[in-house]
This record gives sequence, C-alpha cells and structure tokens, in this order.
Amino acid sequence: MAGTQQRPKPKVGIYGFTGCAGDQLLLIHTEEEILNLFESLDIQSFVMASSNPIEGELDVAFVEGSVSTEEEREHLLEIRKRAKILVAMGNCAVSGGPQAMYAEDGEYETRLRKVYGEVQFFTNPLEAKPLDAYVDVDYYLPGCPISQPQALALIGRLIHGAMPEPYPHPVCHECKLHENQCLLLEKKFCLGPLTAGGCGAVCPDHGLPCVGCWGPNSDGNFSQHLKLLESFGMTKKDIMRRIHNFGGYKILKHIENL
Amino acid sequence: MSDKKIITIEPLARVEGHGGIKVEIEGDRISNVEVQIYEGPRLFEQLVVGKTPEEDLSIVPRICAICNLSHKFAALRGLEKALGVNVPETTNAYRHLMHHGEIIESHSLHIYFLALPDFLGYDNAVAMADKYGDTVMKALQLKAFGNKVMRLMGGRMIHGENPILGGFSRLPTREELVTIKEEAEELLPFAMDTIDLFAGLEIKDHMERKTQFLCCKPPHDEYGYYGDALLTSDGKEHPVEDYKNVINERTVSHSFAKRSTYNGRPFSVGALARVLLLGKRLKGKAREAHDKLVNERWSRNPLYNNHAQAIEQVFSLEGIIETIDFLLDSETPEIAKPTRKTGSGTGAVEAPRGTLIHRYKIKGGKTTEADFITPTAMFLDDTEEFIRTCGENLLAAKKIKNIELEFEMIARSYDPCISCSAHLVTVEYR
Repeated sequence: MAGTQQRPKPKVGIYGFTGCAGDQLLLIHTEEEILNLFESLDIQSFVMASSNPIEGELDVAFVEGSVSTEEEREHLLEIRKRAKILVAMGNCAVSGGPQAMYAEDGEYETRLRKVYGEVQFFTNPLEAKPLDAYVDVDYYLPGCPISQPQALALIGRLIHGAMPEPYPHPVCHECKLHENQCLLLEKKFCLGPLTAGGCGAVCPDHGLPCVGCWGPNSDGNFSQHLKLLESFGMTKKDIMRRIHNFGGYKILKHIENL
Repeated sequence: MSDKKIITIEPLARVEGHGGIKVEIEGDRISNVEVQIYEGPRLFEQLVVGKTPEEDLSIVPRICAICNLSHKFAALRGLEKALGVNVPETTNAYRHLMHHGEIIESHSLHIYFLALPDFLGYDNAVAMADKYGDTVMKALQLKAFGNKVMRLMGGRMIHGENPILGGFSRLPTREELVTIKEEAEELLPFAMDTIDLFAGLEIKDHMERKTQFLCCKPPHDEYGYYGDALLTSDGKEHPVEDYKNVINERTVSHSFAKRSTYNGRPFSVGALARVLLLGKRLKGKAREAHDKLVNERWSRNPLYNNHAQAIEQVFSLEGIIETIDFLLDSETPEIAKPTRKTGSGTGAVEAPRGTLIHRYKIKGGKTTEADFITPTAMFLDDTEEFIRTCGENLLAAKKIKNIELEFEMIARSYDPCISCSAHLVTVEYR
C-alpha cells in the first residue's frame, strides 16, 4: 500500500525487573504475532529474546517487574529519562505484585533476614514497590500475566500515535458476558467484583473463584463486598489477608477505612 | 604490576530473567567467576506463611512464568502429602499431560529461540528466519502447541488456576484430548528433524570436565519428570524428604540466588542430568533419538543439555500421545479430599531446567513453614566451574577472541531461569 512507510518505526525497549518474567514471556508467546511485532517495531532492547541491545533514546519503554533492588531503582530512573512513553507491564510493575502483599507492614527487613540470613549483597535489596513509586508511568497494562489482546491493542495504538483506551471493567463484567453462574451465589470466596478485568474471567470460566491477581478495579465497592463475604461465615482477617495477596500497593487506598 | 583483567557480560541475554557473568583473569589463570543474579529477592518462603493451601497454590507458581506448572505440580505434591490427599492414577495422568505441555513449551523456547541463534550465528531467532524460515515457523508451532496443552490443563497459558488440591476444576473434553493427540502426532517428525539438526552441530570441547548429576527417580521403570527419590550420578538414591542432607545450600553475596553442592562439589540438573541418569529407560522414537545423539562426552560438556532437551521434546510428544490414549479409556476421576489439616510434606518434580523441590509444614489448615529449592539454585555453582575451565583452556591456547560468547553459551546451555533462582529457599534461623 502506498504511503504506509513514511512513519518511522517506533524505537522500543522491553525491560524486566523483579518478577516471574511472565509478561515478557507472553509477548514472546504471541507466536505468529511475534514476527509482526519485530517487523513493525524497532526493538532496540529486549534482552530476554535478543543479544546486543542498544540503549539510547526510546519512543516507548515497556517495563515488567517490581523495583526490588537499589540497582533496579537507578535503572528505572535512567530508562525514564530516555523514554518518551513508559508503560508498566504486569501486576508487579503496576502494583508491586505478590512480593508486595505485605506492603507497609514494617516487617520487610525481618523477612529478608529469615530467608537470606545476614548477607551483604552487591546491590541493596529494597522492599518491592511498583514503578510509579519512583517515576511517572504513562500507561498501565495490568495482569498476572497481562492479556495478549490488551497488550497488542496498546502497542497498535502507540505505533499509530493514537491514544490507548482505558478498560475500567471488573472481572464480573467479563464473567457475565460468558454467562457463568455467579460463584457468590454459591457463597464462594470470589474477588471478581473488586478485581480489574481483562483476563477474560478465566478462573470463573473454570468454575473457580477469582483470586484477584489483576489487582483492584478502581471503582470496586470494597466495604460492601467485605460485608457480603463476612455473611458467608468468613472472618474479616481471612478476607483481608486474601485481598492483599495480589493487591500490593494499589489495594491500600481502597481498604484504608475498612 | 598486576595484569588483572575483568570480563563483564551484562546483561546476560536470551535467558529468562535478569543476570550477568563476571570473570576475573590474572595472568594466564581465572581468579574468579561469578554468575550474577540481579533480580531482587521476593521472599516467597515467607509470603506463604499463614496462608491456606489454596492460597499457596495460586501464589507459588508466580515464582516463575515459564515453569509455573512445575511449581504448581511440586506444590501440589508437597501439600497433598502434608494433608493426606490421595489422588487417583487418572488424575496423575492428567497432571503428566500438563507437565509434558510445559516441557515442550519451555524446551522449544530454549532450543530454537534462546540457544540455537548461538550455534547458527545470530542475535535472535527472528533474525534467523530469513535462512531458517521453515525451522523457525515449525518451532513456533511446536511452542504454540506446548502453550496450548498448558492452557488446556492449567486454565490459561501462564499462571492458570485450574489444577487444584486433589485434581482439576475442569477436565478437558474428549474432543479436546483427541485434537491434542493428533497435533502431537503431526509435530513428532519435526521434533525428530531437530535431532538430526543437533546431530550435525559441531560442539566445542574447551570447557569439558567431570561433574556430578542429580534428578528425580520416577517411581516406575519408565522415563519421567517426577519422583519421591533423588538419584545421583554416584549411583545412590536418596528419599526426597532427606533433600536437605543431599543438596547443601549456602548464600553468596553476588547473587540473590542461593547455591548448592552435593558431597561438597557442584552438580548439574536438567535435561542432560535426566538423559544421562534415566536415558536407558527411554523407548520408541525418544530412544532412537537418544541412541543417535548420546556419546561419552555428554557427562563432561554442558552444551549437550540442548541436545538432551531435543530428546525430551520427542519423549514428551510421545508421552502426550500415550497419556491421552490412557485417558480416553479412563473414567472421570473424583477430586480427592484432604484427610487432615496438619502435617508436612515434600514434593519433587523435574521442572524443564531441573529438579524442583517444595516443602510445606501445615498446622490447622495454614502454612507455618515453606522451603523451595529451584533448579537454577542447584546448578549455578557447576555453571561457574564450566566457565572457569573454558576460560583457562582458552587462555592457555591463546584463543581469547569471542571468549564472552563462549562463556555466554555455557550459561545459556543450562537454560537458567533467573526468575526462579532469585527467590529461593529458607536458611537456618539464627
């Protein structure tokens, strides 16, 4: 087609901090799309997939993982300086991930010592935090792992210089579209109403309650859901513990008054 | 005057996770080798304390994306022992199907996309596509197939919640099983072509040295990826509950991955260890592949781990076909229930890159203690030793051009999973 080649390919860097590498892996797992991805982007740095990265100015940086060492914190600041757009990719980058489930409980040092003993490391370990604890984040791709369609839609929009759209729906929205029987009617511990959608309600589709792994949905009614779950005979302590498992830092503002 | 030279390879590319290699050279000898793990600690052993087994099962696979189902499987084996859950043989067969899927997903990613570019002289697999287009396309198909099996059994490609205590929430339909079996049959010739591809590769010998191997011993006479005993290359068998006496762990300052030795010396785990220790149990095409590739250099050369993975791809495709034949003739299994709320148990499986151990202590339905030992934590000492030998031999022969690539290829051959390795293991409380 005429006229499709004028726009230069956006320079992209894909980085991984502390996490399971699942969000980068999901990009690699796009199978037939990965060839298109390498074709339509100028991938400067994607260390998990390719040698000889080039670290310069970037149009878009995708960053997976929480910031969990001093070295990672410095690296993130450095990436932010040379990236026009920074995307937090996956729950660890968005909210801190499971390693941030005890966010701000003051016991991090104790846990670190229990696992590693008294060791001086080459870089200081830090309590896991999301990217936006240190830098401005332009877009968030939530998920544990992220969803391929959402990731490709975001990349597609950015390639064409268009504004990505937010997706403000809870898991319940997708669950309803799949016409699943609501697990809350069976008094099961389901976090669907409080959890960001995008996974395609994959757990309820398998007859399993949502564990909340995408982190909180911004307009979830936490106090009402807490009451509902308590009415199933669960203790507040058990409920709050589970809400924290994947909620990281982003859950804190939703539950501060509960 | 010191002529100390430091070679730093950072970042170590085409591995899962964030790491590097540092080699210090003084004169004609290597004074220090460090495979460094830069990812921060996640402290999973502490995260699960106070949780229910259901929560454990959704939290611990997050240690690692690529082998998330191995973590799920190891956790299930440990937790089910602790809680007295006895799953029927058919459920185990479904779990083997799931595990075969993961082995194919992980091995095909490593063989074609992370390792093969080195052997063929490219930066990445996409760059290979011009000349090796057919191989890359079929490799993508094979990897997609592994992912499909993982999605079918796990519930989604990565971090699916479908495997639960005592069984699976949803089992595949007959049609889904038949489709998977047919696809496995179609992919088998490509997996065998890969054996020929590997048979034609020239494998360098400058890092060769004698080492030790360890893997799970399957409870039957067949090749497999799980067991309740650990088998070592000195011919000994150790009950898996004794793992702490077999695998001696320590912390090192240059890595958030802990390190392990057996009998005070480094050892290797993974496909190479399994093929060397269990290869005589292989049958069918996998045995053909084994007999074609294995030679006496394998026990001294980690680059053959790539070849061993190629053999396991064949084994797992055949395993999927055989398992599905069994499942098509079987009744739907019941979900087995816990018989107690207090107990302890150790679960061991073979993750794609080696032995993976999960140990849990449960009291009144909540975890009080957990310990995870991942394969990368076991083999990193051995990786460093092979890099050292490689460096010393190349220095002696004055062949130091491209020495970085030689070091990287050794590290990559282990298919190190840095995400896993950075989140290890309890030490003794002091």
